[in-house]
Amino acid sequence: MKGINPLAVASIAGVVALALPFVGSDYAVSFSIQLLIFLVLAYSWNWIGGYAGYTHFGQVGFFGVGAYVGSLLNFHWGVPWYLAAIVAAFAGAAIAVPLGGAMLRLKGPFFAIGMFGLARVLEAFALGFDSITGGGTGIYLRPVSDLRPLYYVVAAVAMVMLLLTWKLDNSRLGLKLLAIREDEDAAESLGIPTTRLKIGTFVASAVAPAAMGSLYAAYLGFIDPPTAFAPNMELTTIAMVLLGGMGTVLGPLVGALALSVVNEVLWANYPQIYLACVGAIVLLAVLFMPRGIVSFGMKSGWLGGGRPLFRRLAANAGRTPS
Amino acid sequence: MSEAIVAVEGVSKRFAGRIALDSVSIDVAPGSITGMIGPNGSGKSTLFNIIAGTLRPDEGRVLIRGQNISASTAAEICGLGVARTFQISRLFAEMTVLENLVAVARGRDDRAAIALALELLEFLEISDIAERWGAGLSYGQRKLVEIARALMLQPKIMLLDEPFAGINPRLQNRIVEHLRTLCARGITVFFIDHEMRIVLSECDLVYVLAEGQLIARGDPQSVRNDAKVLQAYF
Amino acid sequence: MPVTELLISGILLGGVYALMACGLNLIFGVMRVINFAHGDILAIAALSTVSIVVGLKLPFWVAIVAVPIGCAALGALIHALILRRIEGAPMIMSLLATYALSTILVNVAILIWGGGYSGLPGVLGGSISVFGVNVSLSRLVSFACAIGVSLAVWWLLEFTRFGRAVRSVSAAPELASISGIAIEKVRLATFALGTGMAGFAGVLVAPAFAIDPQLGSRFIIKAFAVIIVGGMGSYPGAILAALLLGVIEVVGSYFVGAVIGSAFLFLLMLAVLLVRPRGLLGVGVRV
Repeated sequence: MKGINPLAVASIAGVVALALPFVGSDYAVSFSIQLLIFLVLAYSWNWIGGYAGYTHFGQVGFFGVGAYVGSLLNFHWGVPWYLAAIVAAFAGAAIAVPLGGAMLRLKGPFFAIGMFGLARVLEAFALGFDSITGGGTGIYLRPVSDLRPLYYVVAAVAMVMLLLTWKLDNSRLGLKLLAIREDEDAAESLGIPTTRLKIGTFVASAVAPAAMGSLYAAYLGFIDPPTAFAPNMELTTIAMVLLGGMGTVLGPLVGALALSVVNEVLWANYPQIYLACVGAIVLLAVLFMPRGIVSFGMKSGWLGGGRPLFRRLAANAGRTPS
Repeated sequence: MSEAIVAVEGVSKRFAGRIALDSVSIDVAPGSITGMIGPNGSGKSTLFNIIAGTLRPDEGRVLIRGQNISASTAAEICGLGVARTFQISRLFAEMTVLENLVAVARGRDDRAAIALALELLEFLEISDIAERWGAGLSYGQRKLVEIARALMLQPKIMLLDEPFAGINPRLQNRIVEHLRTLCARGITVFFIDHEMRIVLSECDLVYVLAEGQLIARGDPQSVRNDAKVLQAYF
Repeated sequence: MPVTELLISGILLGGVYALMACGLNLIFGVMRVINFAHGDILAIAALSTVSIVVGLKLPFWVAIVAVPIGCAALGALIHALILRRIEGAPMIMSLLATYALSTILVNVAILIWGGGYSGLPGVLGGSISVFGVNVSLSRLVSFACAIGVSLAVWWLLEFTRFGRAVRSVSAAPELASISGIAIEKVRLATFALGTGMAGFAGVLVAPAFAIDPQLGSRFIIKAFAVIIVGGMGSYPGAILAALLLGVIEVVGSYFVGAVIGSAFLFLLMLAVLLVRPRGLLGVGVRV
């Protein structure tokens, strides 16, 4: 059954992304940076929420931590934005390790709420410890002179995330994560090391958002708690993955593109209507298409069922009827 | 007499004051087919889950291959060479049958894992459903996939939770054949079930529980005629 | 440290938390739904109260009657359109749905009432002396009403036929349906009651706090903390935990400022989740 090859899509997207700064306006580049950041966030969330099944509302916490780490490095010591982002990524991973160990012991909705609360607490800390973070006033950074390098870095990260997701999807690790999602207790009693895999996935899903936070702050030239820890950012990320397809390779891409259309039409002029629409989209997805567009396509057959690698290897083994 | 591969010693378990198991001791000889039967509420599921590691005994201990697993997790017990199926099959719904099997495979070699999976599907005569979605299988197919998935762990001990429940006799006999083949290869099979016909014809040793206590132990012939067993069931 | 003052202040705050948490708990207990939008219903209720009193120039008691009924009606609508369709789905689905609903409500509220703060000065002005501390009358009255309603609903659950039906559905839905209880109606009524309680809490909050459409998001996390600390599914646990957490928040704020002080509640919630997930009086939850 011929399905749409994610690598083909990725190549096309890659070419478009590469060419954009040369043919597009400054506005297009700026808009694309935002879209690509969301894409990276969506792909990260997809790992822990879509594959491992640990949906949560706290990813923006890592984003915010990265934003502040990067901003402070830049503000106090003049660290350039690309290095700051790398440090921010490490910072994200560093706090995700202990947090994951603690929070992942919570099941389902408690984990989700716990992470939501965690993000709010981090926001409160950013607001409260104002001697370090500048509190409500925020931190003003020297603006980045040319956005194009920033754009390329973000685009590169997005491409890497897509490829890593494709690799995950076609690996036994991916299957193990899905097993955890589908039935964690059964998976555990069949020998899958659930705790280790959960924490690993959680940490992996914190790295890119932290880097993106730092890059976003550099892009804006400014950061403050509501911007760094915006719940709306969380909602939009989740909406993209949910709508596109949780636990799939193309899902976040599809969701991001779909939502950016809505974004483009509404956000500038009617931000409240835009957000209410995103909320409505999530609601409708939960009610009618909880596994998203791509999964729906996979089950109905027009997108190719199952993950192709195993079918191909099995066919090569010569014993499965294709 | 050879060392029991699974030894339950004086295990008791209470649920909210109600006694589910009262000082039950059983042992399972390696390479044998052992069955446990009992009316509803007899505690056989509880004992099964204690052996499999999803429950802990209040008193007594369980030894698997000589090791005390009373405080072990299900995953740790898995590491001792134990694999189990579930009474209500818990297949991974959003994956194909092949993926269900490959997901639990040990080791790093993808090709070996897939080869093993295909081999097991062929062994259980369900190669044709390899590409089917986990959620779309019939009851009997699910049971067979459960067994295949457990076998992916290449276990020394197979624990089966009501493998014969709710399926037609022809499929039951097929499963019996497969279990016999496993035994011939040295795998120990232990299962609980209600299907007396099979237990009393196929098992080397039968245990009977009633109301949390062990009321009979022996070969099928003697159990079939045991007065206490007849009383418990009829 | 002005102990009495902080204690009283904390308890008064806790009263409102109690009302809100009890409604949330009721919904969770019966429907296994975690209503993320609960706080936003409170916020909308508070804003509506301001509109009624200041905008329509009607007396406060009109708001006390009309707003909770309106919120109950809104709750019934939410149940009929959304929650009924995802019954039986894993809890995370209803959490996602109510999370999305929360966003919708907040933004609709901003569209209607604008994003800024409003308040209701002078509804119950003045203060009175309690244990030697000057306490604002409006806070005292709001506390009394909040605790009063919470206890009234508790009485309802324990001693009326409706309450028994609710508790049956909560404990064993299959058995309840066999014994002839109309489960759907009970669920609908319970959700409406829960949202009605949130509405009432909103009315009480209006004279005592500065309110804006984002108020709900600030309250919801505290409400979660309350029911987790008190034990999910335990009604008296929610009341006790609410009072306790109100005090903790006030004391914490006194020492480290309001912002970080409110973070204390969450940290406590985390601690409870990790160490004793049952909470103080909870009965354990199958997720």
